[in-house]
Amino acid sequence: MVCAWQALLNLLPPPMRQDVDRLGRDNLQELRLRKGMCPELVRSNGTVRLRESVTSEMLQYVVNAACRYSPWTASTAADGYITAQGGHRVGLCGEVVVRNGIMCDVRCVTSLCIRVARDFPGIGKGIPLTGSMLILGRPGSGKTTLLRDIIRTRSENGQGSIAVVDERGELFPSFQGKSCFSPGSRTDILSGCPKGQGIELLLRTMGPATIAVDEITAQEDCNGLLKALWCGVDLIATAHAGSLRDFMKRTIYKPLLDSRVFSTVLVMQAEKTWREERIPL
Amino acid sequence: MNYKWIGAILIIVGCSGFGFMIAAGCKREERYLRELYSALEFMAAELKYRLSPLSELIARAAEHTSGTLWQVFSALDRELAGQIAPNAEACMRAALEQTPSIPPLTGKMLRMLGKSLGKFDVSGQLSGIALVREACNENRKRLERDRTERLRSYRTLGVCAGIAIAILLI
Repeated sequence: MVCAWQALLNLLPPPMRQDVDRLGRDNLQELRLRKGMCPELVRSNGTVRLRESVTSEMLQYVVNAACRYSPWTASTAADGYITAQGGHRVGLCGEVVVRNGIMCDVRCVTSLCIRVARDFPGIGKGIPLTGSMLILGRPGSGKTTLLRDIIRTRSENGQGSIAVVDERGELFPSFQGKSCFSPGSRTDILSGCPKGQGIELLLRTMGPATIAVDEITAQEDCNGLLKALWCGVDLIATAHAGSLRDFMKRTIYKPLLDSRVFSTVLVMQAEKTWREERIPL
Repeated sequence: MNYKWIGAILIIVGCSGFGFMIAAGCKREERYLRELYSALEFMAAELKYRLSPLSELIARAAEHTSGTLWQVFSALDRELAGQIAPNAEACMRAALEQTPSIPPLTGKMLRMLGKSLGKFDVSGQLSGIALVREACNENRKRLERDRTERLRSYRTLGVCAGIAIAILLI
C-alpha cells in the first residue's frame, strides 16, 4: 500500500497527530471530526475514538491546512470538499453560503470527513487491457483505487497512451509537480479541469488511446463522455452505484447505457475486490 | 590630561556614530519599504494570473527581496510549508519572531500583510495586498519627504550632542 501519510498528518492539529499516527498508520480509511465530539478513526479493522473533543479551532485548522492557507485554491469547497495534499479528500459540513441560488462556500464548519487516499498497486490484475470500462461501487468501496491501478497497468502494458481527466485531483495528486502515486510511463494527466471540457481537450490535443475519468455524477460529465463516443478511443469511468441494476435506474446514465459503449462493467465488492457484470440487452 | 581628551574624542565619536546609525536606519527602512512594495506588486500579479497557493506565492515573492526582508519571506515560506501554525497570520508572526532585525515600520507593514493573508477569495486577497501596498507607499513617501535635511540633522545632532557632552564633562 502506498499512502502520503505525512501529508495526512500535516492536515491535523499538532496535538492530534501522534495519536492518529499510532492508531491509524496501517489501516486508517477515514477520520471523522465533529464539533464537540471525539475524533473518530474509521479503520479497516474497526472504529476507534480519541479522547479529546474537537473544537471549532481544530476544524478551522484542518480546513486551513487542507487548502494550504489559500482559500482561493479550494474552488471545490463550493461542492463541499477540498482535495488536500496527497490526494486526501476533506468533506465539509456546516453552514452553507448560497449566492444567486448556487452554493458557493461552507462557513462555520461543524463536521469534517477526511478520506485517506491510498494506492494498492496490482489490485487491477487480470482486468482487460483494451476496451471501454465502467467501474461501479458505493462511496468508499475502492473505485478510484481500482481505476488508478487500471490506468497504471494500461499505461505500462496496453496499446498507446492513456489520458486522464483528474477533476478533483484525487487520482494522481501531485505536489510541486510531482505525482504522489505512480501514474505509469505513458499517462497524461489533466488536473482540476471539468470532465466534459477535459475530455474534449484531450481528444483534440493529446491523441490518447484511452481516456479515463473518475466519478461521473452530473449530466455534463455524461455529455462529455457521449461526445467522445466512437472516436476510436476507449473510455474508462467510475460511478456511484450499489449494483448495475441501481446504475441502470438512474436516468442521467441512460444515453450512456443505450450507446453500449462499455464492454466491461466492474462492480466493487468488499475488501477492494470486484466482480464483472454484463449490461443486459 | 591625555585621558580627558581621549575620553572626549570617544564620546564625540560614539554620539556621532549613533546619529549616523539612525540616519542609516532611516535609509534602510526606506529601501525595505520600496522592496516590500515591489514584492507586493509581484504577489498581486502572480495571484491574479496563476492563482498560486500562498506558500508558492511567498516563495516567489522572496526572490524579489534581499537581506532581512528575504529572511522574513523565506521563514514565512517555511512556516506555511510546515503547517504547524493554525493560520497564515500566526505563520507571519512566527516568521517575524525569527528575524528580529527587521526595521519597525517594515515589520508593522508585514504584520498588516499577515492579517490579510489566506482569509478570503482571490478578490479579497488582492484587496488585502493592495491595502498594505498603499500603506507601504504612503510610509515610503513620508520618509522620502525632506529626507536630505532630516538625515543631515540626525548626523549633526549626533555630532553636536557628542561635543556638548564632552565639553560638559571636561
